[in-house]
Amino acid sequence: MPTLELLAASLLFYIAGGFVSLLLGKTERLAILGASLGAFVAALLGVDAAVPVLIGGDTSLFEVVGPFSFAHFSLRFDPLAALMVFVISIVTVATSIYAVSYLEEYSGKGVGAIGFFMNLFIASMVMVALVDNALYFVLFWEAMTLASYFLVIVHQDDESIEAGFLYFFIAHGFSMLMMVAFLLLYMQTGSLEFASFRGIHLPDRLASTVFLLAFFGFGAKAGIMPLHIWLPRAHPAAPSHASALMSGVMIKLGIYGIIRVGVDFLGATTAWWGWLVLAFGCVSAVLGVLYALAEHDIKRLLAYHSVENIGIILMGAGIGMVGMASGKPLLTSIGLLAALYHLLNHATFKSLLFLGAGAVLHRIPTRDMNAMGGLGRRMPLTAFFFLIGALAISAIPPLNGFVSEWFTYQGLFSAATQSEFASRLLGPLGAVMLAATGALALMCFVKTWGMVFGGAPRSSHAVEAVEVPKTMLAGMALLAALCVLFGLGAPLIAPVLGHVVATLTAGQTVPVAQGLSVFPGVARQAVLSTSVIALLMAGLLAIPLAVAAFHRRRVRARISANAWACGYEHTPQMVVSAGGFAEPLRVMFRGLYLLRTSAGPVGDAGDTALRDMTLLAARTEPMWDRASVGFSSRSVDLLGRSVQIFQSGDLRLYCLYILVALAAVLLAVTW
Amino acid sequence: MQTFLLFLVGLLQAVLLFLLAPLITGMARVLRAKFHSRQGPGLFQDYRDLKKLLGRREIVAQEAGAVFAATPYIFLMAMLLVAMAIPAIFVGSPIGAMGDLIAVLYLLALGRFFFTLSGIDSGSVFGGIGASRETTLAVVNEPIMMLSLFIVAILSGSTNLGVMSDVILHHRSVSYAAIGLAALAFGFAIFIEMGKLPFDLAEAEQELQEGPLTEYSGSSLALMKWGVALRQVVAAALFVGLFLPFGAATSLSPLALILGALILSVKLIVIFAALSFLENTMARVRFLDSTRLTFVAASAAVLGFAFSLAGI
Repeated sequence: MPTLELLAASLLFYIAGGFVSLLLGKTERLAILGASLGAFVAALLGVDAAVPVLIGGDTSLFEVVGPFSFAHFSLRFDPLAALMVFVISIVTVATSIYAVSYLEEYSGKGVGAIGFFMNLFIASMVMVALVDNALYFVLFWEAMTLASYFLVIVHQDDESIEAGFLYFFIAHGFSMLMMVAFLLLYMQTGSLEFASFRGIHLPDRLASTVFLLAFFGFGAKAGIMPLHIWLPRAHPAAPSHASALMSGVMIKLGIYGIIRVGVDFLGATTAWWGWLVLAFGCVSAVLGVLYALAEHDIKRLLAYHSVENIGIILMGAGIGMVGMASGKPLLTSIGLLAALYHLLNHATFKSLLFLGAGAVLHRIPTRDMNAMGGLGRRMPLTAFFFLIGALAISAIPPLNGFVSEWFTYQGLFSAATQSEFASRLLGPLGAVMLAATGALALMCFVKTWGMVFGGAPRSSHAVEAVEVPKTMLAGMALLAALCVLFGLGAPLIAPVLGHVVATLTAGQTVPVAQGLSVFPGVARQAVLSTSVIALLMAGLLAIPLAVAAFHRRRVRARISANAWACGYEHTPQMVVSAGGFAEPLRVMFRGLYLLRTSAGPVGDAGDTALRDMTLLAARTEPMWDRASVGFSSRSVDLLGRSVQIFQSGDLRLYCLYILVALAAVLLAVTW
Repeated sequence: MQTFLLFLVGLLQAVLLFLLAPLITGMARVLRAKFHSRQGPGLFQDYRDLKKLLGRREIVAQEAGAVFAATPYIFLMAMLLVAMAIPAIFVGSPIGAMGDLIAVLYLLALGRFFFTLSGIDSGSVFGGIGASRETTLAVVNEPIMMLSLFIVAILSGSTNLGVMSDVILHHRSVSYAAIGLAALAFGFAIFIEMGKLPFDLAEAEQELQEGPLTEYSGSSLALMKWGVALRQVVAAALFVGLFLPFGAATSLSPLALILGALILSVKLIVIFAALSFLENTMARVRFLDSTRLTFVAASAAVLGFAFSLAGI
């Protein structure tokens, strides 16, 4: 079959590129080119294979008897898998172009190995989407985790090794849950083939157990709160093009897993699964963005935004699952469509933002945004592409982020108009959470763009920064163009995704697009046309331009001067810092940030526990020492503590002591 | 044909609000002066200010970038877009393809994005603080707006503002109490969206509310000031068009439209006179305590939502 041959060729190119990179590791230039070229060609082949399946909707199957009698090596390329391959491939096209110049930064740090693990990582992601057998799924899933682990620890410093350890630990710990879920299904069907899991009828309690195991197992990979703690550490540690793939694509495979098991296998039979997914989505979205706001490490900030966007995707998925459970095809379609659309969009703009951050870090040696500033004038194209990404992730019309959030809102609204009380209550609440998320995301990206690219430079590196090489710009330009296209092309994309949902749920296709506009199944509910908005934008821009041009004919000159600082000399330190910008929110939402400090160290708690254990094992302390020295040191300590009561540090108390002493002396004298 | 006519109505509406905006802010200035027992500058002072500024030479901060230069145009464009999308003269959204509440709220966000970003991009000391406050208030405000609009949308079965307005005009809904509370909450949120008291300082506009404007001058300042005025008028028109739609044109005949435009202008003037009274008699609130006040609006919205669930 041509589709599968294309995919096979694509995988061959990934692997060939990877090995070329590893073998030519000594001559770095060639290693980078080999890996990038391999990935580039492979990704194009992947797009070529995925697009016809997405449009045509044919499912192709492939099966070989592998070395194991109990598990056949079977592949299934259905529209959902094609969507994942498409997402992986488009991001890979951009990152492979970008890597050509970007990887020079890692010269002498094992460029060959980076290329090797990178290509292996992408290939295993493609395989995860393709395989149709639990055993091979788990194998490729672990390969994906392992390859990305090596990308996280590339820097080889304390921070990245700690992040890598945490990532390794959580990824493997939680993939156990996923394996148990598969084993439970295996016990029921006696086969590891996904085909036998599909449409399985389980007793309610068992089905819920399998779903919960899968949800948390895959959810840890997706980065839902509170299983997200590895994400803001691991993603920033990797090279930026790897972060782009991890944040843009890999965590989406967690969503893919949740949808595969919850919707495809189990048929989302119980309504509370959907509500649970929605609830986790809401919490992840709001807290993810709130924590992002408090960051001034640019890549960690972006990583927290991945938590937020995973939350938004899950909100749509949750609505879709509720719709399935209650037998409402419209709700199912709109919810899942919103989720898949946001999955696609997040892949484009988040990868774009990570590549933009990588471009900035290419020129500035620290990730601290307080040491940036003024890069908009020095790196104008990077700034422009980053602005597109920032607008898209803030859901500003007519870009792609807006369209998918619009569908999510419409899904929530459709839920709110159902007759069940839970839908009527939770739908609008979800919308309120999404609105809060939107406003917070806008604030966060105003801060990010402003701190990095706006105003005056705040370090000598920022003063000297120049634009990055052309290949890096080309990678970003591609993704920025996709952000615009997926926004304006909504009437073309929404029906395709609607079709993916229809084949997945074996339901009918709900109409979502007509002419230049999209609508959520029923046109009376709402209509949106991003292309009309874009046209009107272009047209209306004429009014202010005309007003200004009419008057500006007389005065053309512009004077340049220092920014006003109440008559003092303007210095960059006067301007609001990344922390100061978000300070009002940290005061207003003190309570919510508490969770960050208390939930954050879950990872730390693991670390300290491990350290204490090794310490305990290493220490062979004589009992005598502990009894004698320990006792006296403890008693001294206790005595000191009891004396401390008098030394409270309160000035009034000391005045009282003086008064008492004076009175005592006076009494003694007069007696 | 119908679509084209509606497009013309939208354009008419946008131009009307655009031209009316300086008059209304001028009126607010006069009224404030009267409250202070001052003479005041005259109703048309804002037009004269704009004309003068447009003819002035610009002074630009050294480190200000491209966003700073482009924002006056983008900000005004965003506000004009919203003016075209909302039901105001005509009951129904002139451009249905962007007339739903989500698109309108996010178009307002587009304006806010560039307005605040320009403040940081100017390198100004006040710009950044002003931007921080503006976006922080939006975080508190946006959920209130979304919930109060969602209540009406659910009762109308559509998120299209035109349909919602039509339902209220013809009393097709059953939950009057819910709609009343939604109107209260939305009105309060709009009051904040306009950048009026109690969170911003009437007498220190330059520093805080208009913080991002600090570095603007000449024609750019004129466009920004015009945009800020238009934002206030558009926000008020959104409230009026949705919750007080009586008098709006129900057909597309020229007479009905002209009458609709007149009635809209009168309604806006009355609303702004009332707001003027409110903003000049209310005490200012410390910015960090503003959640205490928005809490009132949030509870009104939540109560309205509870009523709508109960169907009262």
